[in-house]
Amino acid sequence: MDIIWTLLEALIKAVVILTLILLFAAALGVWAERKISAWIQNRIGPNRVGPFGLLQPFADVFKLFMKEDLIPKAADKTFHRIAPIITLGIAISVYAVIPFAGDVQIGDKVYHMGIAPDLNIGILFVLALTSVGVYGITLAGWSSNNKYSLLGGLRSSAQMISYELSMGLALVGVLLIAGSLSLNDIVGKQDVIWRWNVIFQPLGFILFLVSSFAETNRTPFDLPEAEPELVGGYNTEYSGMKFGMFFLAEYANMATASAIMVLLYFGGWQLPIPAEWLGLQQGSISLAIVQFLNFMLKIALFVFFFIWVRWTVPRFRYDQLMNLGWKVLLPLALLNVLLTAIGIWILK
Amino acid sequence: MNIRKNTEAERLNFWEKLYLPEIAKGMGITFRQMFKPKFTRQYPEEVWIPTGSYRGRPVLVNEDDGERCIACGLCSRVCPALAIEVQAAETEREKERYPVKFEINMLRCIYCGFCEEVCPEEAIVMSKDYDLVFTSQEEAILGKDKLLVHISKLQDRLEFLRQYK
Amino acid sequence: MPHIYIDDKLIEAQPNKTIIEVAFENGIDIPHFCWHPELTVAGNCRMCLVEVGMPKRLPNGTIAVDSSGKPEISYFPKLQIACATPVSEGMHVRTKSEAAINAQEAVMEFLLINHPLDCPICDEAGQCKLQEYAFNHSKGMSRFIETKNHKPKRQSWGPNVLFDAERCISCSRCIRFAKEIAHQDVLTFVQRGDHVTIELFENKEFDSPYSMNVIDICPVGALTSKDFRFKSRVWDMSFNDSICPGCARGCNTKIGVRNNEILRIEPRPNPYVNKFWMCDYGRLTQYDFVNNNRITDPFIKIEGNHQKVTLDEACSEAANRLKQFNPHQIMFVGSAKATNEDNYILAKFAKLLNVKNLDFIKSIDENFQDDLLRCADKTPNSIGAIEVGIKPDTHSVKIEQLSEKIASGDIQALLVMEENFEEYTEIFKNLSELKLLIILGYNHSNLSSLADVILPASTYAEIEGTYVNINRRVQHFTPAVVTSENLRFMGMKMSRLDKFGAFNDRWTQHQLRNSRQSWKIIQKIANNLNAGWSFRNSHDVFLEITHNIASFKGMTYELLDEFQGLVLGKAEKPDPKVRNYESHYMKPN
Repeated sequence: MDIIWTLLEALIKAVVILTLILLFAAALGVWAERKISAWIQNRIGPNRVGPFGLLQPFADVFKLFMKEDLIPKAADKTFHRIAPIITLGIAISVYAVIPFAGDVQIGDKVYHMGIAPDLNIGILFVLALTSVGVYGITLAGWSSNNKYSLLGGLRSSAQMISYELSMGLALVGVLLIAGSLSLNDIVGKQDVIWRWNVIFQPLGFILFLVSSFAETNRTPFDLPEAEPELVGGYNTEYSGMKFGMFFLAEYANMATASAIMVLLYFGGWQLPIPAEWLGLQQGSISLAIVQFLNFMLKIALFVFFFIWVRWTVPRFRYDQLMNLGWKVLLPLALLNVLLTAIGIWILK
Repeated sequence: MNIRKNTEAERLNFWEKLYLPEIAKGMGITFRQMFKPKFTRQYPEEVWIPTGSYRGRPVLVNEDDGERCIACGLCSRVCPALAIEVQAAETEREKERYPVKFEINMLRCIYCGFCEEVCPEEAIVMSKDYDLVFTSQEEAILGKDKLLVHISKLQDRLEFLRQYK
Repeated sequence: MPHIYIDDKLIEAQPNKTIIEVAFENGIDIPHFCWHPELTVAGNCRMCLVEVGMPKRLPNGTIAVDSSGKPEISYFPKLQIACATPVSEGMHVRTKSEAAINAQEAVMEFLLINHPLDCPICDEAGQCKLQEYAFNHSKGMSRFIETKNHKPKRQSWGPNVLFDAERCISCSRCIRFAKEIAHQDVLTFVQRGDHVTIELFENKEFDSPYSMNVIDICPVGALTSKDFRFKSRVWDMSFNDSICPGCARGCNTKIGVRNNEILRIEPRPNPYVNKFWMCDYGRLTQYDFVNNNRITDPFIKIEGNHQKVTLDEACSEAANRLKQFNPHQIMFVGSAKATNEDNYILAKFAKLLNVKNLDFIKSIDENFQDDLLRCADKTPNSIGAIEVGIKPDTHSVKIEQLSEKIASGDIQALLVMEENFEEYTEIFKNLSELKLLIILGYNHSNLSSLADVILPASTYAEIEGTYVNINRRVQHFTPAVVTSENLRFMGMKMSRLDKFGAFNDRWTQHQLRNSRQSWKIIQKIANNLNAGWSFRNSHDVFLEITHNIASFKGMTYELLDEFQGLVLGKAEKPDPKVRNYESHYMKPN
């Protein structure tokens, strides 16, 4: 019985959260991208569909559904179809382990505010899934049977593998401090603003930030889809909703990366000040709501940052990208691990 | 060794080489731009009327006594996108050749204006139409019925061509 | 053998030749309009003016020498026309000197005075000698500001030729052709000065069977074809070499194709076959059956109705049904319209099945014959068909007996390749007696409507192969029209529009036929009967022909192309190669 209830609970949470994430995070992300890019370029941006053009992303998705779905003659049809599913699927799956607020106690039952019940290897799961994400893009590039797509796919696999190393190593600092792989534990340790990990791990945070830009294929590391050289990169041969899935996946990934950064370095759903100061009780629903909003606000700020960077920094050259990854970020990440370890050893 | 050193990179100082402060500076600039006045034209309400120099949809000049085009096929030959198809036939008029079929595939057209430039009869000119909407690929292939425009509507462009061509 | 210098190049010339001929043979092109190697010299265009000089002779008879020891040349003060000046020992010719170039430019300016500026309308544009020379030998400006002369346009000269008097530059090539080659002396100059024009004699028509050659030799667009008029610009077409299948002469041709449709056929020079000419019959009748009414897919007759099937299905059906007959009940009809390759494979297939009844239809029309090009044999390859083995032996059924043998039930299965019995109509009353009729055909016809298995054969314009002409000359030709079979191979040989068209362009929507070269179909049928043949292309088949048939020994497609055909049995003694004269033609883009 217990198992069924747990599964049912997870399912309900999944539906609620995925709808929220997909419909709002991704759609809002697209809207925000267009609005902010417009503002930075002294334009207005979407303003026709709905108030402030807020419904523009839905109109776009509707348009993408209506579009002709082309599959090139020479493409590997199966993989060509599977690739966008992998990419979007992975991007969504990561939310399974992200806690959105502290546990809520109703009666004597404790509810965990994430889809999966508190997973003690949460961060490993996230790392594993983001690594699988590269398959979607590589397959898309390869199966299209188009030189631009293939080059885009190759670049993305090389890039994602290179930056995964520094990202993983940058994380080790946080793990050393928290002493746990569970995202809940990591967040739990950062209960006030002066215990946020970013204060102890400034170098680690910067490394992680840069790497996650590369992992999500966002400017200045968007070489897999570099328009001037590769037409559209791995998604050159995609149209209709298949293209839409790549598009959504990019924004879902951005939100994921933001969420993870918030969880690891900015206290996750923890408020900057102890909850007691606001007169809210641990485990209460009202606190959970405040925590959730707090978490969302932090994510939104990071998403804004992602977008802001995109419209400021030009794209790297491929050799510069590789140099940065292997010759700068990786040694710095190793140094960060060493310094953190020494620090913890001394404090103990 | 035929390698030239990147002297510009050598001139960068330490902080510039760090790259991060420079990025922060750049982001400051873009952030300030967000609050500057906007320049967007509210298009469907505020319609922009181009001048004679504008290269919009290519059209065929129709005079009171019929089209100017003699179906020589030069526009079709010069078109870099292969958008134009002309099929000539014989007519009783003094210029014995006329286009029985003249089609421009607007999906191929890149508005370069070569067709206008090469035309020996000034029969194809770029109009001011820029808001073209098609709902199917077939519809985007414009035939003579859609291409022929009376000369009185093309005076701006013809005047521009007289001056600058 | 006089020694002459043309532009300081020493040339050993044959006596009694003119300067322009000697220059042409040695690769020097002197601009000209009225000269043509096959016509008499008229010398009226004045375009080929060159400076001619002889070594200076002193009063004592010796040759004057300058300080460096070279003979001193005294050039004639007045320029000579290269087309009418015979060469002589020691002659010096300057074709690119200032005086010569000035003269050429002056002639061009003069010719263009009254030539209308209607190139955009004119069909000749793109392959016009006057246009070409206006580019290469003209200053590009005119001092003439008066009104141009107007003359009548669109005069009909005959059933196939239209004359535009304004465009005429009075070179007289057409007059001389009509008189000397077509032997129909009906054209003449009338009027004087800038009013000069060409007219037909009263109540005469220029209706010679070779009349359309004047369109080719006319250096401007004054003469145009009624058939082709305004069909297409020449630069939109591809021109690929072929052979005319109209009669056994095998005139060399170029096929003009746009949108996968033959628009015109024009002669290609071959000094050993057709010189520069071909007949109107060949030009006008040999493309309609390629363009229209084609069998584009295989069909099998099931319960009286023809049903579309795949080629593999049709071939295995044909093979399975052929198996059910005794070899002596089967007859194969080859074709003199098919290539040697096709006929050879058919003969080989007959040998495989032990079928002895093998023949083809000869189509002889004595009225068609004349003493220039046309032959009585109206098929292109009857000698070749016999040569590669399409011949009945003494005991087998001959084509003349076929009708009665079908009626008597001796022949129950018939395979007809590239033939529709147009001239053998009495057979149709007995064809329904057959138990099996397989045809490999181009067009839907009375024969195809009766057939049990219809296989789509490619026409001469779509295949690579060889014909043997009436003088036993083997000639090689390659495809000009695209089918699904040769699409990849044709590639850059297609016209610009065909090459770059996409599925949503209307100009590429013409039929792409799913037809195959006959030998490929027969190979497929044979392989269904475990023949195990593996010929990949016509080269392979021709290679086997050259191995197995003595008269073809030593030939290859490359040699056939190089020597413009080789005579059967004389592969090692080819005719000498000569430089072919082409007056003006569409230069590839």
